[in-house]
Amino acid sequence: MTSNAVIQMKNVGKSFGTFQALKGINLEVAKGERIVVCGPSGSGKSTMIRCINRLEKHDEGKIIIDGKELTDQVDDINAVRREVGMVFQSFNLFPHMTILKNLMLAQRLVRKTSKAEARDTAMQLLERVKIPEQADKYPIQLSGGQQQRVAIARTLCMKPKIILFDEPTSALDPEMINEVLEVMTDLARYGMTMICVTHEMGFARSVADRVIFMDAGEIVEEAEPKAFFSNPKNDRTKKFLSQILSH
Amino acid sequence: MDILVGWWDDYFWGSVVVAQVFVCSLILMIIFGLIGAAAKLSDNFIAQKLANGYTIVFRGTPEILVILLLYFGSAIALTSIAQIFNPDIKFLDVPPFWAGTIAIALIVGSYATETFRGAFLGVNPGSIEAARALGMSNLQTFIYVRVPEMWRLALPAFGNHMLSLVKDTALISIIGLNETLFVAKQAIGTTGEPFIMYIVVGLIYLGFSTIITLSVMGLERFGQRHLVSSQ
Repeated sequence: MTSNAVIQMKNVGKSFGTFQALKGINLEVAKGERIVVCGPSGSGKSTMIRCINRLEKHDEGKIIIDGKELTDQVDDINAVRREVGMVFQSFNLFPHMTILKNLMLAQRLVRKTSKAEARDTAMQLLERVKIPEQADKYPIQLSGGQQQRVAIARTLCMKPKIILFDEPTSALDPEMINEVLEVMTDLARYGMTMICVTHEMGFARSVADRVIFMDAGEIVEEAEPKAFFSNPKNDRTKKFLSQILSH
Repeated sequence: MDILVGWWDDYFWGSVVVAQVFVCSLILMIIFGLIGAAAKLSDNFIAQKLANGYTIVFRGTPEILVILLLYFGSAIALTSIAQIFNPDIKFLDVPPFWAGTIAIALIVGSYATETFRGAFLGVNPGSIEAARALGMSNLQTFIYVRVPEMWRLALPAFGNHMLSLVKDTALISIIGLNETLFVAKQAIGTTGEPFIMYIVVGLIYLGFSTIITLSVMGLERFGQRHLVSSQ
């Protein structure tokens, strides 16, 4: 066990009824590491990262985040969630609040920051994702790419140690994918610990320290991007890569 | 119109009573409805069953019967308690205002329970997940995310509940609340002009329901403000 691992998953299993979504997952992520998770749909990628901030409860094994084990203790879960940001496929902005309020809400309620400070942080991060001029609009008035950038900014407002991305570009029109990937690449450059479920193999190649391939609830293969793409070892990985890279 | 001379101030004070009952029962109705909906949606088996019992009883019995039962039931209970301390007391009741207000709030609250329950189920689960992922507690998520998204969905049906509520105030005249219908009955007793006296009551209630309908329309527009695109 490396001492600087911020995420440790030990033999984690999860079932939905009779369907076993995760089987014996072992994963360690070091501080500042950027992991891309890929695999066919239904392979357990989303379930795995949703277990990390306990949006799903694992029913076997151990998950330790930044030294704290995930249990049923509500206070502990909220403490962990403060440090683990998540960006969703469908953005999940609060529709009844302006962009600025979306960014300020959790800072005020969870971090207990002052109104002025929350506003400053929010505006800085809107600058960083390059849409400060949208601060007073409502989510529905923004394009998908803009909404996803706001969602990333909302997560960053909490100053998390880790950010989980759950297929952040899958719901976007093709011309908006790049603006979101640019923001993510920027984050990676600044040393954010990231786990990213995505099929954007270009992003994986240029940004990831490690690529993980999952199938049927298991981690089938993990390797550095270069080795992963040029020399996959497992037959299932080869098949998957040939399918998504063939066109 | 000469026939109405001398009755206007009675009608006016009757209308004030209607407004007071409406405001008090509206607040109680929202509280009963939210508690009922929260209970029905909770994981707690007993809470679910209690809320089910509540909606079955109050939606399944005539409103006027509930008012009578609540008024006389509470009066009997109060009287027998009071007689323990002072056997000379013959009859003690909850003021008709409060017995009636609570009764109609319970009745309409049972309908509101279903409205709120449906509206809570209509809140985008993604918003709730986002709030949880940001570390917000269940109570914070309820107050800042669930309720603000829920009320917009509940509003059209909720407007109907408010109309029911204001009309149900007329039923409270049966236990002696001096609202407009009660005034009309007295006026008829004196003047022998039922048609005119009841028409006045009808116009007063139409006035109230128009105000409510316009308010709901305004609230709906307010609730949709974030759904209007900027173009």
